[in-house]
Amino acid sequence: MADEKEYTKPLPEFRPETKPYWDACKKHELVLPRSRTTKEFFFYPRALSPGEDMSEDIEWVKASGKAKVWTYAIHHMGPTQAYKGEPPYVVALVETKEGVKMMTNIVDCDPNEVRIGMEVEVIFDDVTPDVTLPKFRPVKKQ
Amino acid sequence: MVTTLPGIKDAREVLKKHKIVIAGIGETEQGKIPNKSSFHFLSEASKIAIEDAGIKKSDVDGLVTAFSLVEHTFMHCTTFADYFGLKPKYFSSVAIGGATAVWMVAEAAMAIASGQAEVVLCVRGDNTLSGISSSGMVALIREMCHAEFEFPYGLTTPGGYALAAQRYFHDYNAKQEYLAAVAVTMRKHAGMKENAMYKEPLTIDEVINSRVIAEPLHKYDCSIISDGGAAFIVTTEERAKALGIQKPLVYLWGMGQGYSHQYLTTLRDLNQIYNAIESSGQRAFQTAGIGPKDVDIAFLYDCFTITVLLEIEGLGFVPKGEGGPFALEGRMEIGKDLPVNTHGGLLSQAHLGAMHHVVEATTQIRGEAGLRQVKDAEVALVHGNGGIVSAHSTVVFGKIPLS
Repeated sequence: MADEKEYTKPLPEFRPETKPYWDACKKHELVLPRSRTTKEFFFYPRALSPGEDMSEDIEWVKASGKAKVWTYAIHHMGPTQAYKGEPPYVVALVETKEGVKMMTNIVDCDPNEVRIGMEVEVIFDDVTPDVTLPKFRPVKKQ
Repeated sequence: MVTTLPGIKDAREVLKKHKIVIAGIGETEQGKIPNKSSFHFLSEASKIAIEDAGIKKSDVDGLVTAFSLVEHTFMHCTTFADYFGLKPKYFSSVAIGGATAVWMVAEAAMAIASGQAEVVLCVRGDNTLSGISSSGMVALIREMCHAEFEFPYGLTTPGGYALAAQRYFHDYNAKQEYLAAVAVTMRKHAGMKENAMYKEPLTIDEVINSRVIAEPLHKYDCSIISDGGAAFIVTTEERAKALGIQKPLVYLWGMGQGYSHQYLTTLRDLNQIYNAIESSGQRAFQTAGIGPKDVDIAFLYDCFTITVLLEIEGLGFVPKGEGGPFALEGRMEIGKDLPVNTHGGLLSQAHLGAMHHVVEATTQIRGEAGLRQVKDAEVALVHGNGGIVSAHSTVVFGKIPLS
């Protein structure tokens, strides 16, 4: 994004174990963590697999970037001052093809057009020079 | 309906043996009350409960507190003991969000049953409305969601509940009126509660037309913020009689917890939430030896209208998806099928977690609820919900000892 205005919305509070995820985002790639032991994807990233295996052997797999809206909420009020005066925006939980859910914003569409079950695909928002947030937009029907 | 849970026999034996009771209750003034600290409210509520029980402060030998949203302290219970002038044999802080107040009863019961104390003061108080700064508010919202993977997307606390509500609407073909009916009922009840913050009746239309916060939740679908304190005294029937307590005792019949998640990102589906609510309720019901049909009054955690529907269904009072019509038909009102939150709840009376729900449950079973009195109220259930429908706790109270 070429916008020069300072970004004052909340930035992720990074933990060391999530670095591969955010590094990939900066390269406009979506990777999801998976236990090498069970081959199960999980999200959000943790240092140990949250499954029975408790594996510390985590691999970061390039994701399809495709998902469906599982639920959404059009926010008319934001959590911080930075949202004051902004138009309503959509926070959603999308279910990725890999089977895990991610919280995100649905962008590039009228909030009133969002539906549960809507097919979406990942895009990358470089909110600051150091931080890129993956967001999702509707897949355009041909 | 789950099969008999392990540990129920032990739980029943403990509660039958010790005859755990609520022997004193207290509520301060609630509302916008500036210039009173969190610890002032805690002290005042404690004093009222001690005086209600008719005991001396020195009769209290156990203390269970929660937390403050304004004056964050590392060791809340011991800090309050110092302020109030108490040297408890047993001290503990329970911090599980909205599931706290309900679980304080269980915490006190377990302490008493294991010989740690005999008379436990449970108290929560806060100047949340007047005392919290805007940065404090932001910090609170941030803590209710994942700071790395959720907050950057602008999730608010009502937004988190709206995500659950929107999915509920989808799964059960629910209508906006269903949520509004809950708010209308809560306001109707609050109108009969002297210290309720909001008493003017609401209509369905007024709720639906109120400002949208996060769809489908409007302003009146969301709990209020208030200043105030509330407390209750937990002891045994034997100790209460030895202390000469005159007020009718309210007996603990069962308690349970249920865990779903902390972050919505981890939520598989709404059934995960329903299962957690059911687990919490089932442990309490099975310990008490009763089922939903035996409950005279339900105190359900109403931080948002949607939670009342999820809980009334998850606990098994009505089938899934039918809480809405139940509310719309007025069946949650005093005098109807299953009175819910006769004090007006978090939506209209005050917000101190489920503290007032426990106090009102006790008031009702004692027969002291005046205009709000539910006829022949003998069994009450109180359910607490922490996080975003994440962590659940349930207790069941009865007018007579558990048998």
